[in-house]
Formats: sequence, C-alpha cells, structure tokens
Amino acid sequence: MGARRDAVRVLLRIALRNLTAAPVRTGILGAIILVGSLIVVVGSSLLDSIDRGMRTSVQGSLGGHAQVYAARSEGTLELYGGLRGESLLEPIEDFAKVKEALSKVPNVKQVVPMGIDQAMVATGTTFDVALERLREDVRRMEAGDASAERLRLYASHQAHVRRMVGLLAEDIQQARAIADLESREIKSRMDEFEALRRAGSEGFWREFDADRYGALEFLENRVAPVAMENSFTFIRYVGTDVEAFFRAFPLAEVAEGRTIPPGRRGVLIGKQFAEEWLKLKNARRLDQIKDLRDRRGKQIAKDEELQRWVRDNRRGIREILLQLDPVSADEVAARLRAALGVEGRDLAPQGAPNTDRGSAASTDLAPQGAPNTDRGSAASTDLEPLLVRLFETTDEDFEAKYRIFYEVVAPRIRLYKINVGDTITVKAPSKSGYFGSVNVKVYGFLQFKGIERSGIAGMMSVMDLMSFRDLYGYLTREKADEIRRLKARMGAREVRREEAEAELFGAPAASPVATRSEPIDERGLVLGAADRAERASDLSSRVYSQEELDGGVALNAAIILDDPGALRPTMKAIEAASARAGLGLKVVDWQQAAGTVGLFLTLMRGVLLFAVVIFLGIALVVINNAMVMATLQRVKEIGTMRAIGAQRRFVVVMLLLEIGTIGIAFGLAGAALGGVVVGAIRALGGIPATTDMLYFVFSGPSLLPRLGTASLVGSLVLVVVVAVLSGLYPAWIAMKVTPVEAMATED
Amino acid sequence: MNAIVSVKNVSKVYLLGKTEVPAVRDASIEVGEGEFLSIAGPSGSGKTTLLNLIGCVDTPTSGTVVVNGHDTGRLSERALTDLRLRTIGFIFQSFNLVPVLSVFQNVEFPLLLQGTLAKPERRRRVEALLDAVGLAEHARHRPSELSGGQRQRVAIARALVTHPRLVLADEPTANLDSRTGETIIDLMREMNRRDGTTFIFSTHDPKVMSHANAIVRIVDGRIAAREAAQAVGGR
Repeated sequence: MGARRDAVRVLLRIALRNLTAAPVRTGILGAIILVGSLIVVVGSSLLDSIDRGMRTSVQGSLGGHAQVYAARSEGTLELYGGLRGESLLEPIEDFAKVKEALSKVPNVKQVVPMGIDQAMVATGTTFDVALERLREDVRRMEAGDASAERLRLYASHQAHVRRMVGLLAEDIQQARAIADLESREIKSRMDEFEALRRAGSEGFWREFDADRYGALEFLENRVAPVAMENSFTFIRYVGTDVEAFFRAFPLAEVAEGRTIPPGRRGVLIGKQFAEEWLKLKNARRLDQIKDLRDRRGKQIAKDEELQRWVRDNRRGIREILLQLDPVSADEVAARLRAALGVEGRDLAPQGAPNTDRGSAASTDLAPQGAPNTDRGSAASTDLEPLLVRLFETTDEDFEAKYRIFYEVVAPRIRLYKINVGDTITVKAPSKSGYFGSVNVKVYGFLQFKGIERSGIAGMMSVMDLMSFRDLYGYLTREKADEIRRLKARMGAREVRREEAEAELFGAPAASPVATRSEPIDERGLVLGAADRAERASDLSSRVYSQEELDGGVALNAAIILDDPGALRPTMKAIEAASARAGLGLKVVDWQQAAGTVGLFLTLMRGVLLFAVVIFLGIALVVINNAMVMATLQRVKEIGTMRAIGAQRRFVVVMLLLEIGTIGIAFGLAGAALGGVVVGAIRALGGIPATTDMLYFVFSGPSLLPRLGTASLVGSLVLVVVVAVLSGLYPAWIAMKVTPVEAMATED
Repeated sequence: MNAIVSVKNVSKVYLLGKTEVPAVRDASIEVGEGEFLSIAGPSGSGKTTLLNLIGCVDTPTSGTVVVNGHDTGRLSERALTDLRLRTIGFIFQSFNLVPVLSVFQNVEFPLLLQGTLAKPERRRRVEALLDAVGLAEHARHRPSELSGGQRQRVAIARALVTHPRLVLADEPTANLDSRTGETIIDLMREMNRRDGTTFIFSTHDPKVMSHANAIVRIVDGRIAAREAAQAVGGR
C-alpha cells in the first residue's frame, strides 16, 4: 500500500523533474493554460455579474420572472421596444380568466396585466402658456378684479405675448427668406405673416382692451398655430394595474409626486423621459455637463462634447427669454446681476448673439417696429447678455453657475413641459382604426432604483389600465356585434372616400365663403368647459374595482414567482394551465421577454463562449504538439521503463500526470490572477456603464464583477480537462512505445 | 543444473518493407542457473534479437522461449511485463538511466514498480547495492554528473535491486573504454558469484567474452557453437 503511494510519488517526482528540466516548454504551456484560466475566470465573473445586473434590471422593472402573451400574436414580446417599434401582439381579451387560471399554478405569486404602447402627448407651447396667463388676467378683470397688482400683471403678460409675437415674426421672416417664393406653401406663409403683422401692430394692442376676448381669440386661432412646433411629444407607456405593478416590481418608485391612487386613472411619467424630452434643453444640458464632470471627471476645457453643450446653451437662451414676461424678466435680471457680480451696464461687449437679429427683423416688419421696441424694460434687455454670461461656463465657475441657474432662473420658468399635477391629453391610433384620446392626470414621475439613468427602462411611463384600454380601443366580439346591430338599425352604409363629399353634402360648394372673425361667447364656452371638466373629473375621480381592472383587455402579463429558482418547471406548469384553460398563451422567460435587450446577454455569452472555445482549441493543439514532441524525445526512456517492468498504464499515467500538473498549477495561478483582476476592477470602481444599454445591463452606473466559487472551480476543471485531453494523444504514443526501443542504440 | 532459460527452435523474422529479414534462425540453447554466459558474434548477427527474445521484450515468430518456467509465447503483454519486473534485470549498452532521477532513485525505481517493499527495506537494499558497486557516495547525484563507467554501475545496481534470477546485458561495455569495460565485467562476475544470479550478456569483444564461463557464438542468426569457458581459456 505504502509502496503504491511511493510509486505515485515517484511518478509525480518524474513529472515535476521533467517539467523543470524543460523550463521553456513548461513556461509556454503554463502561460497558455494560465491565460486560458484567467479568461475563463474573469469572463465568467463578468458574465455572472452581467447576468445578475440584467436579471435585476429586467425582473425589477417590467419583466418579472416570466411573461405571457397571446400565442397567436404575429410579433414577439419586446418589453423594452424592438428595433422596429412596438411588437405586434394580439390582445388577451379577458385578462380575468388568465389571472384566475395562472394564479392557481403553484409557485405563481402574482400575475400583472400589461399593455405597452406609444402615444402622443400634447405638451402645449410656450406661447400657449403665455396666452393662458393673459387669459387668466382677462377673465379676472372681466369678473371685476381691478387691483393694481392685477393691472401690473396684465400689462406684463400683454408685453410678454407681444414680445413673443415679435420673435415669432422674426422666425417667419427668416423662413420666408429661405422659402421658395413660387411654392404653394408661400400662400400659407403669407397668411401667417399677415396675422403676425397684425398681432405685432401698435393698433392691435391699443384696441386690445376694447374687445379683450376677441383679441385673445385672434391670438389663439391665428397666431398660436404658427408656434406649433414642439407642441407634442411621444411617450412610451405601460398600461397596468398600478397597485399590482408596484408590488411586483421592487425597483419601481415614484421619484416625484405620488403614485396613482388605487383604482384611479392617471399616469406616472418616466423620470428619465421627462429629463430627456420634457425638460428645458438648457437645463438638461447643464445637468449633463454636471453629470459628466462629477461621474467621469471630464473637463469643459478638454472635452469637445461639453464644449458643444456650453455653446448650445449660449445659443439656446431664447427658449428662456420667451418664457419670461417683463416682470419676471426684470426680477431674473436683477438677481442674476447680483449673483454674477455684474456692475451696471458693463455687459454690452459680451456680444449677445440675438441683438442684431432683432434689428434686422424690425426693418422689414411692422411699420411701427412694434415688437422689438417693446421687448421689455432696460433690465430685461440686459437679461440676454446676462443669460449668455450665465451659460458661458468654464471648469472654474461651472458649479457656481449651475447653482445660480437652479436658484434664480429655474423657479421662474417652466422647467418641464409637463409637470406633476397637470392633466395631459394622450392620443394614440386605436386598434380599431380611430384616434383614441384620453385625459389623464400626471400624479408623478417614475423611476427604477439603480437604473435611474438608463433610458431603456427610464423612458417608460406607467398608466392606469382603463386609460390604456380606451386608447387601445380594442373591439371585443360583443362590442363589434353591438356596432353591427346599431348600424343595421340606423341604416348606416359604407361610403367611398372619393365620393364622400358628394354623398354627404350633395354638389360641391361653388366657392369658398369668406371667413369672418366673430367674437365668441367666452362665458358660454367657459361654462361648457366647466361642464366638460366636471365630466372629465368625474372620470378621473372614478375608482375602478379590481373586477373592472381585471375584466378586460391586456396585451401581456408579467408573472412573479415565489421561488425564482424554479422558473423552468413553473413555466411548464403555466403552459399546461394555459392549455387546459384554452387561453392560448405563449410563455417566455424574462430574458426572452426583454427582446433586443435580452439578446445582449445571449450575445455576451456567445462572445465569451466563442473566445473560450477558440482559445482552448488553440491551447489544445499547442499543448498536444509540445507534449508529442516531448514524448518522442523520451521514447528511449519510456522503452527502458517498459523493459524494466513498468506497465503501459504506468507510462500513460506518468504523461498525464505531467500535463495535469501543469494544468493544475498554472490553472490555479491563472484563477488566482483572475481573482486579482476581478478584485482590481472592483477596487477601481468597476467597469463604467458608458452607454445607456450598459447602464441597464449592469443595473447601475458600473459593473462590479464578483468572483464566484462556481466560476473559479469551473475554470480550473475546464483548464485541467483541456490539458489532460491534449495529453491523451502523447500518452497514447507513449503507450505504444515497446521495450525494444530501449535497446536501440541512441546514435 | 536447472535451466532458467530454455530456447527451442526459435526463429524471429522482421519485416522490412515487404522483405522478410530473418534475425534469428532456428536457435536452441539452454542456460542453467548461475551461469555467466556470453553471446558472441559480429554486429548484426542477431545477438540483440536473441537477447530480446530471452528478455521477454520481444516474442518469437516460431519456436518457444521458456524463462523461469514460463512459456513467453503464451503470456499476455501484462504478464510479460510482470515477468520482466520480477525475474529479469536489464543492463543496456547506453546505460538508459532516467535522467531526471538521482542515482538512488534510479536504483530504487524497479522496487517502486514492484510495490512490495516498504521504504526502509528499499533503502537498505539500494544502499547495500550502491555500496557494492562503489557508488555509495554518489547516491544523490544525477546520472548526467557521472562518468560512463559510473552510470553503468548504477545500471547494474538497478538490474540487481529486485534480486532477479536472470540479468541480461546487451553489449554492456560497448560504450566504455576497455579498462572501464573490464571493471564492469568484473563487477558483474562478482555479483554472479556472490548471489548466484544468472548473467547473459552479448558482446563482440573477445576480451570481454573471456570472462564468461560459457560462450554462445551466433553467426547470421544461427547459433554456431556453445563453448565452455575453459575452451577459450578464461581465468
């Protein structure tokens, strides 16, 4: 027994001695194995961490552990949007049935209905907001408010609107300069220009008080449409049972405002979306500069992107100027002057970009030159260069100016196009073809913990299920039947588009009738509006029961499990339950449900696997080659051992032990080095998430890889197996060496 | 006299491409226990082949070889290896020590293969043998640090360490100068006398042959004669 152990010891000794006898060969083979082991350890640690990050992000934000959707769908579910827009899913007509059937499956904790889609949101323009303020003044004055404060505001708001008209006129002027005069478009341009000219004229404002509502109406109907750009935006939302949603997704949290009350209609706007698309561009750029400076230590002086943002900010101050009425402008200017430490009028040389534009426009516009002369008081004329100076940031004064912006300017302007508490109009083409529209209250901004900065999840808004269904406008079979019945009863018939006019109105009208502006009955409208508002508030204050929420259309549903470890068997069970209940559901795991985003993980896995396979393949060939050479060099020695009485097995073990020793020794070293590398990455703050995608995948600002026991043991086993595999052929050669070889003379 | 080796009508034919090359033709010899036998003949006469057949590293094309009572033609590869391990010691022309092992470890090696003796016993045996071959001082040296004669002494020690009944030596002095060769043959002879171990060695050197107590002459694979040592006038 002891002797056998001693034999093993001698084998080991031979192996080690042989290894040290050929240090170069051992070194090369060892290095290959070491690098292989390093790749596997570091790679698998990264992959594990990515897997974990992705799991956290997807499961915690929208995915849950699994998702179900109608199996008859043309498209596949892509929770975070696909490359070609939203996925084409057939609806789950009655979610209640799904919920009932799936909740009974063991290990299923929660079934959350969802409907993901995009919709248009009207955001209102700066001009609308200014007009609304003026309208408020008018309304109060008509109601008898004649206080000095009211009059002051009224004057200021008037001046504000007037200034905006002036600026709009400049825009039109420029557009006209570059427009093709022959084009048909020029006609409407001329109309717009005419309207602006009138709105900018001294006479218009002089007579404003004579017919306040009439003047307002002109501004609203003829002038406001000119300022239509950027008046709506697209949101991506998930219609869901909001209460259940927050229970199911631990990462979801209300960043601002509050959650939608149970059973109510409402929307929570994605915080990241709000930052990106709803926030004033200048403020957004300041945030971005601050972020890059703080998080990545970038410098304005050295980074082109930051420099571009600073430039854009200087040019972008118009958006701010437009928002300020003269009173606020004065205030802002005074405070800015104090904060920036500017004395009197030493601003002029700064060369504000807008000053000459104003005069160019005034030569051509309105004989009285009304819009420009009235830009505001001296102070607000100063505002432009002051703002230029504020946004002219350098690395030295950035922090201070950032603070000044948020303390002085931000509170006096509309920082976001949509604010908490607003009621917004959401429109979307419905399933049935018409344009659905709902008014929903913005209860707050939504974000996902840990991945706040990622647009992948952060663009998502959450809406109540009822509003989603209104927008989705799915015709249930009963509804369709009812419509058919109604049509039959009313004698409705299909009319072809080309003939519609003739069919509906008889012969076409001879000539367009000249339109005439009529003062509108504002009071009546207000009353009507109040009535409508009452109905709307009726809708928005209505509390829907769980039955109402459940009993209707959903596009997909997230499944939350008690034990996520048992995902596969539970998915099987869900499939079975769906088949039994005839629900026709397709069940996918969270990663599949994540769609393109989920592919990232698969891709990373593939890349790592590919790299490892290629590397180990090369290692196999190289090690095999070297060992074959080494074996051939030792044929005589092996023959001698065989002659003396060593069995074939002994010789095979000797060789495998030799290569196995290299494998274990250098594999361990590689794994240890891998541990060091992983530790170093952690110590240096991890791998920064430089893109939006990475932010989501890492589930945070950086990837902190963790060394798993599994990856350590796995890499070691893998490397040793590869080493031993590569030793098999040499060992076979050694086995075939006959003792006769020992007798051969060596020369 | 008991025969430890019995070769009967043995032929060995090698295939060189498509031509058959007979290395040994119809050879028959008996070697008794305790003999110190030389197989003599010119290069290529079949000495080595005959030795290989006796040493169970090769099997005959026809005829039988019986070693220590075992018909080698009927033994499996494993059994032949085992027979070599337990019954035969080998001394090679170019010493064939394991370069990465020390002198002591080289000598100990067959004992480890046998796996029957405990460490202290092995040590005693190895040390006694190294003492006997005059290399007690060099136990820790590597073969590369030794002269040719010293290496062959190590080989002799290795061949004898298992207390084999038969030792085969293929041209043991061919790689040594004649003086050293002489001492090596003397050493082998001494071991032969001391323990009664049978030695069969091949050589083409008449001076070496002269030490044998019997000489088998082989020419073109045929055994030409078996002469008693006295016939050639040894010591």
